[in-house]
Amino acid sequence: MAQIVANAVITAGSYLLVGLGFSLIYTTCRFFHLAHAVVLTAAAYSTFVLHVWLGLPLSISVAGAVALTAAVGVSMELGIYRPLRKRQGSSSELLVASLGVYVSIQALLTLLFGAGTRTFRDGEIASVSLLWSVRVTRPQIAVLVASVGALSAISLFLYRTKLGKTVRAVASDPDLAVVYGVNVNRCFVSVFALGSAIGAVAGILVGFDGDVTPTMGFRILVMSVVALIVGGIGSIRGLALGCLLLALSQHLTAWWFSSRWQDGIVFVIFISFLLWRPQGILGRLPRSASV
Amino acid sequence: MIYLAHIVVMVAIYVVLAASLDLLVGQTGILSLAHAAFYGIGAYAVAVLTLRLGASFLTAFLAAMIVSAALSVLLSLPSLRLREDYFVMATLGFQLIASNVLGNWIDLTRGPLGIAGVPGPRILGWVVTSQWGFVALTLLVAGSAWTVAACISASPFGRVLRAIREDELVAEALGKDTIGSKIKVVAISAMLAAAAGGLYAYYVTYIDPSAFTITESILVLAMVIIGGAGSRLGSILGALLLVVTPELLRFFGFPDSIAANTRQFLFGSVLVLVIMIRPKGLVGRYGFGR
Repeated sequence: MAQIVANAVITAGSYLLVGLGFSLIYTTCRFFHLAHAVVLTAAAYSTFVLHVWLGLPLSISVAGAVALTAAVGVSMELGIYRPLRKRQGSSSELLVASLGVYVSIQALLTLLFGAGTRTFRDGEIASVSLLWSVRVTRPQIAVLVASVGALSAISLFLYRTKLGKTVRAVASDPDLAVVYGVNVNRCFVSVFALGSAIGAVAGILVGFDGDVTPTMGFRILVMSVVALIVGGIGSIRGLALGCLLLALSQHLTAWWFSSRWQDGIVFVIFISFLLWRPQGILGRLPRSASV
Repeated sequence: MIYLAHIVVMVAIYVVLAASLDLLVGQTGILSLAHAAFYGIGAYAVAVLTLRLGASFLTAFLAAMIVSAALSVLLSLPSLRLREDYFVMATLGFQLIASNVLGNWIDLTRGPLGIAGVPGPRILGWVVTSQWGFVALTLLVAGSAWTVAACISASPFGRVLRAIREDELVAEALGKDTIGSKIKVVAISAMLAAAAGGLYAYYVTYIDPSAFTITESILVLAMVIIGGAGSRLGSILGALLLVVTPELLRFFGFPDSIAANTRQFLFGSVLVLVIMIRPKGLVGRYGFGR
């Protein structure tokens, strides 16, 4: 049982890492940046190239991959989303564009690396014993440390820095922020850089723990977006709670029934929340449609 | 000639998919990412009913459409009451779960192995097996599905849908049942997608979960948007373009494995370009998402 809880907390950590980056972009830019899925994957493959193909040490490869992925995220914003916003594209158009980006980059990665699994692990991973004979691996501990780190980093950024304050201003009312002289575009770029960097950490750690495939990002992104809605959009604590709830119910389902229905239970939870508590655990109901 | 017939059949199947998705994207202005899920549900329903129960074409087809419509209500009822974003996310989740169920409900779907040997459709004692028989059948179904979609958009119900697209609050203020209309149109669209899936199962005789993934959903969405959302011709044009162009890759000697990914790369980037440069699509009249 203790092992199940530990595993659930680790899974929750990886959802949280993905969800934090996605949620930061969603609340600020107000559209579903689903290409975030392929951002995670790109980070894992960059680590693979730097570490395995170029033979760089792991720490440098990871740092390089995070920087590269942040650049990928920023170039999506500059090359596609900003021009779309400039001609007043709706959030649906931005979403469709991000889907196009998702499928084309995924295809590109498959063309470059093949559809099979790749790995950048060096040999077997030793597991460590903790309290109550719970066993975890070192990358799993890294997931936990990174997710807690990213959680506090984002909170510090949003509530303690000047740039974070402007991000919150843009998130709550972009038009008013413009009136007060906030450079909204600069704000979006920084959000994409930070969100993609956190997504990169998530992708690399997931790639470490499992395998690297061109489609690895999609499932985990859907999970963390569901966690975001279940937890309540706009609340970081809600997101963390949502991740814990989903991960725990997934691991319990796997234990009681079968690991095959792990994703099914997530959909059941999602639909139940939409029916009875659409604002999520900690969220407030969205403002009714404005004319 | 057989190759040409194959292309005609595939275009016809995708016309059904694109025309039915256009009812949501073009007419009602709501985005669905679960179209491949309903397509797959239709294909599996037809395959299972035909193989296990020896169902005839009409029985299997109708049953598949009803199952698909029923499942669509499960999805649309909770999510359409809320903001548009929630519906998109619900369809995304539904798509993931559908792939998951098709891959894991081994007793019914045989999981990743897929179902092989679906017999040809039996219509009034006559079994379609020849390539040209399939051309006739799929053209017939595609023609009727397209006509159904066209009739819906020309009907008063279609006007309500477009009113929802333009301004849901106004439609509601005029006394239109907006949520009910949306649930209905989602169900109709899911039924037509299931019909396309049934045709696909009969035609290729072998189905597996990899044919009904999120990428397929995005492909159909790309057909609608590239062709032109909200126009009757657009869905035909989009399906034609995205089925025929990749076939040309074969003539340039691309091997199959590379061709599939090149095709995916191409339609993804064309989708981005169309959204950026010409959001109305080729022949659309309605700037999608406005």
